[in-house]
Amino acid sequence: MIAFEDHFHLSKTELGKILSIALSKGGDFAEVYAEHRIYSFINMEEDIIKETAESISLGLGIRVLAGEMTGYGYTTDLSFEKITNAALSAASIASSGMGSNAFRFKKVKPKANVYAVSDPLHLTELKKKVDLVKEAYLACQKTDPKIKKVKVLYQDQIQHVSIVNSEGLMAEDARPQAKLVCYAIAEKKNRKEFGYSGGGGRVGLEYFNQVLTPQQTGQEAAEEALKLLEAVEAPAGEMPVVLAPGHSGVLVHEAVGHLLEADFNRKKTSIFWDKMRKRVGAPLVTIYDDPTIPSFRGSYNIDDEGTVPQKTLLIDKGIVTSYLQDRLSARLMNLPLTGHGRRQDYTCTPIPRMSNTYVERGQDDPEEILKSVRRGIYTEKLEGGQVEDSGKFTFTISSGHLIEQGRLTAPIKQVTLIGTNIDILQKIDMIGHDLTFGLQTGTCSKEGQEVPVADGCPTIKISLMTVGGQA
Amino acid sequence: MKEKVQLDELSSLAENLVAFAKAAGADEVEVTIADGSEFSVDLRLGKIESLVEAGSRHLGIKVIKDMKTTYATSSDLNDGTLKRLIQNAVKRAAYGSHDEYAGLPASMPEKIDISPLKLFDPEIKELDAARKIRLAFETERIALEDKRITNSHGASFVTNGVKTILANSKGFLGSYDQTFCSLSVGLQAGGTDDKVEDYWFSTERFFKDLEPPETIAKKAVERTVRQLNPRKIQTQAVPVIFEPTMTAWLLGFLFSCISGVAIYQKVSFLTDRLGRRIGNEKITVIDDGLMPNKLGSRPFDSEGVPCQKTTVVEKGVLSSYLCNTYAARKLKLGSTGNADGTGVSPNNFYLIPGSVSPQDIISSTKKGFILIRTIGHGLNPVTGDISRGAFGLWVEDGEIAYPVSEVTIAGNLEKILNQVEMVGNDLEFRTAVCGPTIKIGELTVAGE
Repeated sequence: MIAFEDHFHLSKTELGKILSIALSKGGDFAEVYAEHRIYSFINMEEDIIKETAESISLGLGIRVLAGEMTGYGYTTDLSFEKITNAALSAASIASSGMGSNAFRFKKVKPKANVYAVSDPLHLTELKKKVDLVKEAYLACQKTDPKIKKVKVLYQDQIQHVSIVNSEGLMAEDARPQAKLVCYAIAEKKNRKEFGYSGGGGRVGLEYFNQVLTPQQTGQEAAEEALKLLEAVEAPAGEMPVVLAPGHSGVLVHEAVGHLLEADFNRKKTSIFWDKMRKRVGAPLVTIYDDPTIPSFRGSYNIDDEGTVPQKTLLIDKGIVTSYLQDRLSARLMNLPLTGHGRRQDYTCTPIPRMSNTYVERGQDDPEEILKSVRRGIYTEKLEGGQVEDSGKFTFTISSGHLIEQGRLTAPIKQVTLIGTNIDILQKIDMIGHDLTFGLQTGTCSKEGQEVPVADGCPTIKISLMTVGGQA
Repeated sequence: MKEKVQLDELSSLAENLVAFAKAAGADEVEVTIADGSEFSVDLRLGKIESLVEAGSRHLGIKVIKDMKTTYATSSDLNDGTLKRLIQNAVKRAAYGSHDEYAGLPASMPEKIDISPLKLFDPEIKELDAARKIRLAFETERIALEDKRITNSHGASFVTNGVKTILANSKGFLGSYDQTFCSLSVGLQAGGTDDKVEDYWFSTERFFKDLEPPETIAKKAVERTVRQLNPRKIQTQAVPVIFEPTMTAWLLGFLFSCISGVAIYQKVSFLTDRLGRRIGNEKITVIDDGLMPNKLGSRPFDSEGVPCQKTTVVEKGVLSSYLCNTYAARKLKLGSTGNADGTGVSPNNFYLIPGSVSPQDIISSTKKGFILIRTIGHGLNPVTGDISRGAFGLWVEDGEIAYPVSEVTIAGNLEKILNQVEMVGNDLEFRTAVCGPTIKIGELTVAGE
């Protein structure tokens, strides 16, 4: 309640009125989502602090559900008149039903506070943040004279979210998020290569002293660019692929996570819609999505519908066990909520999304996994991927190695891999005991909405996958 | 451009904030306001899924003090908030570095006539909800009549209206209104375990120009079912035909490599290549912000620099980078009217069409691959390297033989532009970045 009053100047009585207007034409459910975000941004390149910026995003969205239909209106003007207009826009979806005008709000209590912050960045003076940026920049630059260009971006934000709905839910959250990334270009003769590193999450200033120093980020970016100067073309064709622990988690995010989002399964467009409790992968594959990992980029105390989230088992020893749910799909599918209803901002309706997705550790020794491959590739860092409902997915390696006779040899240049998810899940034949999470800098895009996510995995061997190099 | 006339509320706000920032200590100021409205309906299998109607305002401020640049943006247009943001921005300049290239454009246009551009359709605001819903409904209904279509991602009808206002401390005050409307449908064919999917759309500034539901539905069906029962192919290097949507994708990558920002930052392989050959004679690429009616047109860019027509590549020779004021100063060139916030964006950016029909291009190909869709990432402007998941059609003896899936294509933009053998006559301005069908001599298609 405090947040609604403080940030949005809306009293309980006014919120009740807005919900009544939203349900004035009928409908099963109405909700008010208000958001106030403050961002701080710093960009350093060409050896100077080129830009600093401060941004404020303030807005309110009203949603009405009527059966499978959603009505939505939003406004950046929080006058009662404009909010009423937005409520009327949302109301227009319904044409029957009871409506309601008596609401008793009960506040949602999160299970735990996943924002491990002792020194909040949004309250930190700009100078200290500028120092972090400079530290990363200089560390990157001085790694090697072949580093010809460096760019460092820093961003922090605090997002205040307040939600009430016609079922009496009242929830609020104040989510911190920070990100420091470094880009490096190394040059040798006529060759230029690009390296990248970064970190962050739901963290405070102390993270950059204790967990991941700007110096480390700068050096890692430089080292990747330098390594790629020596990279050879990846081979093309089908071959064994070993995923390095950590950043290769992108593969799971693309190949499995998206297609277990409930909306695609409710609409039967996902290849998984008829596979609940069926085997889709090798028995050694177990996959979770967990929004409750402290300080992780994809974590939250409540989702964007006010649901307290839970660690969700998606694939249990190769068998599909759960979808990622939001309120709409859970109600229509008659399944329990999992707390994965997320939205980019107040202009968007919530949809089922991943948070922190990972493959559970296995039994194998990572060394033995490598030794089992005569000729293949080792993917160290993935720059992103995409999946279609058919299960076809790609991901692009930005850094990796050839595997020859069970050993890592030459680094390889950027290359794209393609596969079909169920096929690949069945071809996973070894999983290491070395679960690691990737860089805390990931953003996932779905239906034009971007949300912060993280992913992870142990060393994984896929017995055969199509690699597109240059023949 | 400024005459003493009655200003609307938002133009006055912009001017007042410029004056406030000057008084607060800024040397130069630029204020941009976007006042937008949005309507969208999504429906699926004949039922409405969502209906969105909304309005929003955003304000952007750029402050330059002692040759240091700071920015602020806000969707909260409360007077107190905006003044505090401006004061913070002026103070923040102290943490920036002196940048000799900082600053607003040196000179501002006297007057820009926006009427010939035809960016605004008054009819769009008047369309009633039932009619908009019916358009989406009809599009999907027609598509689903085809029995090969087994599921639908749904159909959407979307309209947007935006008023853009720009004021700066050099006395510039300009504004323009624009509209967009779009009708689209996404489809699936095949069974659960052998699904194929695609979509089609029409986007226009004027409602009367929008393609009818039948045209969009039929095209979406055709694009989807042609992928049914795909085969895998052996890894090989073959001629590759890019459909217009794929040429547009390639040009989008070219844009990111000739953007003045990428050039001065030296993150593009086309740095220091002005006046040099980057493709063969068949390649002429234009950026034109002044084409009436077109999606990428605008009277002036985000800094108030008038838009223009720029030849970017002329018969294979790189003739211009596309710059905002900052990149232009860095490169000792002129702004081309492509500023967009802190970066640059294309206006109407297209490849000049040739005279061959797409059918003749296919007929000319003994063995080859028609690229119809790509997925994933895999574009590297530093090297020009391309690596993507791909879907396509296999060509044998001048005819389409069967669909192909689960392959990747790999190549290099400069090599591709030098290997263009044929350019089609089928250019349509369906998107701001666009091109006709083209045929490339040889690319690696990786399969089994």
